[in-house]
Amino acid sequence: MNNPGIRPECEELLSDLEELRIEGSSEAEVSSALTGASRQHAMHCEECRSAIEDFVATREGLAPMKKALPEAGPWFTARVMAAVKSAENEIEEKKEGVWISVRRLAPRLAAFAALLLVLGGTWAMEVRRREANLQGAQVRQAEGLFETVQTDVANDEIVAPAGEGTRP
Amino acid sequence: MPEPATGGKAETGEARGAADRELVRRAQEGDKEAFETLVRKHQGRVFAVAGGILRTREDVEDIAQQVFLKAYFSIKRFDQRAAFSTWLYKITVNECWDLLRKKKVRPLMYEADLNEEQAHAYQSKEDGGEYVPDVSERLEAREQLEQWLECLDEKDRTMLVLKEVQGFTVEEIAGIMGLNGNTVKVRMFRARQRVAERIRRKKRAARV
Repeated sequence: MNNPGIRPECEELLSDLEELRIEGSSEAEVSSALTGASRQHAMHCEECRSAIEDFVATREGLAPMKKALPEAGPWFTARVMAAVKSAENEIEEKKEGVWISVRRLAPRLAAFAALLLVLGGTWAMEVRRREANLQGAQVRQAEGLFETVQTDVANDEIVAPAGEGTRP
Repeated sequence: MPEPATGGKAETGEARGAADRELVRRAQEGDKEAFETLVRKHQGRVFAVAGGILRTREDVEDIAQQVFLKAYFSIKRFDQRAAFSTWLYKITVNECWDLLRKKKVRPLMYEADLNEEQAHAYQSKEDGGEYVPDVSERLEAREQLEQWLECLDEKDRTMLVLKEVQGFTVEEIAGIMGLNGNTVKVRMFRARQRVAERIRRKKRAARV
């Protein structure tokens, strides 16, 4: 088992103990069911003898629990199968529920879709109209470049170098 | 310990495994009767496993039902690499631990929750000739057991109960708990040490 705290020579006995398949729980029964080597070892090893004692003590101690375990009633299988059916129905209802809500909301969804279509269409038309206007303006501007006459700039001033105006 | 129903014949472990595999295959194809047969075959041990961990009979019944429901809805994903029983008991142990974690209580005893009718049922069984300890006697015995097992954590307690009360092999326990066989043996050895020490102490106190 290779475990700290357990001597290698004791490991075989501890392993044998847990593999025992006996009904009885007395120390004599347990010891006689062990392999020869484990039995021999237990005779000289105090730790293994106390492991056998622990095994017997827990086995005897827990034995009353066997009588106290609950048993399934004759109706249990029917209860499980009814629960399975009910769970399946619930899943089906959930699936159907989605479709029912889709069908119930269909007129509203159609109206909403129509509204979206109208709004989207209007927006698309508007965008196209604006683009067309913009393009038209650009074309007009490009054509007008060659036709426009340079007008006098009202704010033009004759700037004389400093001091020139004061000369006699 | 309730044995699985085997249809009146003593089935070997191998034959039982083969029969289970066939039933599982049919259940995976949607055959409800096959699943029902699986429930009937394994309900006894599922009850016993849950009964070793949980406190009340109602909890045991609810968990057993939950286990089979889970098994039904996930059986298609079960690849049959492990035995169906191991898979089922693994679900049982996990469901029990989940419930205990939710309730945040140590498992105590289900006799405590016996109602009057159930108590009468026990009594009438006794009157019928079969010796069944008195309800209060059983209650006391179970309380004592719980005191001894109190020193163990959930895993060690489950291992010890599976081994000593339900007769599972080390290999089966390892499969159910998802542990190595040697780890199970070592943990069991240490758990036995602790429980045996408690039992001895109690006996010494009783003598004094």
